[in-house]
Amino acid sequence: MSWLPLDTWIVVTGALCAAACALLGNFLVLRKMSMMGDAISHAVLPGLAIAFLLTGSRSSIAMFIGAALVGVMTAVFTQWIGKFGNVERGASMGIVFTTLFALGLLLIVKGADHVDLDPGCVLYGALELTPLDPGFTLSGFGLTLTVPRATAVLSGIFLLNLGCILLFYKELKISSFDPELATTLGIDARWMHYLLMTLVAITAVAAFEAVGSIIVIAMLIVPAASAYLLTHRLSTMILLSLVFGVAAAVLGHISAITVPHWFGFSDTSTSGMMAVVSGVLFGLVVLLSPNQGLLFRSRRTGKAG
Amino acid sequence: MRSRQRRVIPGLAMLAVAVFAGCGPKAPEDSRQGEYRVATTVGMITDVVKVIAGDRAEVRGIIGEGVDPHLYKPTRGDVVILNEADIIFYNGLMLEGKMADVLVKMATQGKPVQAVTEVILAGGDYVMVDESEHYDPHVWMDVGGWMRAVPIVVEALSDFDPEGRSGYEERGQSYLDSLKALDAYARASFSSIPEEQRVLITAHDAFNYLGRAYGIEVRGIQGISTESEAGVRDIETLIRFIVKQNIPAVFVETSVADKNVRALVEGAAAQGHTIRVGGSLFSDAMGAPGSYEGTYIGMLDHNITTITRALGGTAPAGGFQGKLSAGSPAGRGAQ
Repeated sequence: MSWLPLDTWIVVTGALCAAACALLGNFLVLRKMSMMGDAISHAVLPGLAIAFLLTGSRSSIAMFIGAALVGVMTAVFTQWIGKFGNVERGASMGIVFTTLFALGLLLIVKGADHVDLDPGCVLYGALELTPLDPGFTLSGFGLTLTVPRATAVLSGIFLLNLGCILLFYKELKISSFDPELATTLGIDARWMHYLLMTLVAITAVAAFEAVGSIIVIAMLIVPAASAYLLTHRLSTMILLSLVFGVAAAVLGHISAITVPHWFGFSDTSTSGMMAVVSGVLFGLVVLLSPNQGLLFRSRRTGKAG
Repeated sequence: MRSRQRRVIPGLAMLAVAVFAGCGPKAPEDSRQGEYRVATTVGMITDVVKVIAGDRAEVRGIIGEGVDPHLYKPTRGDVVILNEADIIFYNGLMLEGKMADVLVKMATQGKPVQAVTEVILAGGDYVMVDESEHYDPHVWMDVGGWMRAVPIVVEALSDFDPEGRSGYEERGQSYLDSLKALDAYARASFSSIPEEQRVLITAHDAFNYLGRAYGIEVRGIQGISTESEAGVRDIETLIRFIVKQNIPAVFVETSVADKNVRALVEGAAAQGHTIRVGGSLFSDAMGAPGSYEGTYIGMLDHNITTITRALGGTAPAGGFQGKLSAGSPAGRGAQ
């Protein structure tokens, strides 16, 4: 197994996706809204259907715009239902995405039954294909480097998320832990929520389009959840989540192209393997975390008893 | 601080360039003497390209047996195959889903990439359209349609490798001869089915070209092939039709789930009409590599023979060339 330049691009793109998602994931986990990525992955269906019915085509641009608009709407509706319906957040997310998904199905059956509008077919990209889809070329130091389109898109998303978090760090932190306190301090917790949800929607849809869904959904939850088990300081948690995300991306790709060969199979899906590795890392943290780890807890209780 | 940054950044950049461009002893291959590499997507394309390229090229397909090409996800190994190929063939008309975008991009970068059915589309009104911009990609189901693919492949390979032209044309011609014989077999077999029973009922609508070419009415269980469950009335209508026309068999497909077809069988039974599952047909994917059904001719032979025998026509159990695997193919899949 030789390491090719395309492997580097796959890992870099996967790591950027993991980092961009993990950044937001911290706030989603703290706000008990981890399933937002999954909700958006279902809710985009009416966006695809409406974009198809309006433009009559399944071009990637039409599909992307439709999905992105509905993604942001999912976030806004979730907030409204939580506020006016006085329902807890998990339930309001559930109401919004099932309703939107069902609406999408009805639109497809009514208007476009003969057309394959499955998001898996028209929206989701594939991480493995990124090296074949060049975006732009950098030159400097006498060398040229062609950056794949997905890598460029995800770098942009990562920087956007990082910038927003650095800029509104204090506001996001206080409004995540204690919205009432935030309000008394003059921070509009509602706007912080809209900002975060809009970032999640943009990140999710752009990343679905660039690298597919499973890795995005996993990276919005798992690295942040692992980090949460290790620390209760937000800044440390964010840094750890980035480490977990990037580690899952690197180890995931290496596993995808080596592990199946041990058993005589050919390569497996890299994005799937990245999500699996992310879960394995979480499992290790659950076992080994110094404060809450099962291993140490049983030893502690053993001592106590 | 600033001066340290100045030294660190170019250093990092050099490292990055080394990682992205330099690993592995991959010299740029040129495709001068005969041996060049072809990548293909679905099995039907792989087969025709293999036959025509002969031993002048190494042909590697990336979408294997039993895989629905709409849902196929490439692995790193597939990407390496695409990347190393000197010329790429794919079906087109959205059969490969979003991957086609990437293949089109590769074409604009100067790699020869050929969408076989899209050339057929441009060449006249053969391709079936069912809604705006939604073309039916399953051209191979009509042997006559797939005969149109042969000159396209011959031409593309000859453009890429002019020295091989005479070989490509020769192999193309002899392949066309076998396809003509297969087409004649299909016509003879289907016309032996009693006329009112010439109705093909399957799970998804992959057989429209076959229906048009050979005068068979095709009924897919529409609306169910998407994610929707809203097909109860469709199924009822279809069951009434089956009972009225006295249709003896319906069919499952190797790459599509068969639960809706089973629902038809049970529904018809409830109305006192016995209907068999006539066998399992190849629609979007071929049989196991290396077997007769793993070639285009074998796949079509299997479909033609299975349909004919299950609907009350006469066709030899061994099929067109007596090569179909042991046991009546019409019986297989009817467990």
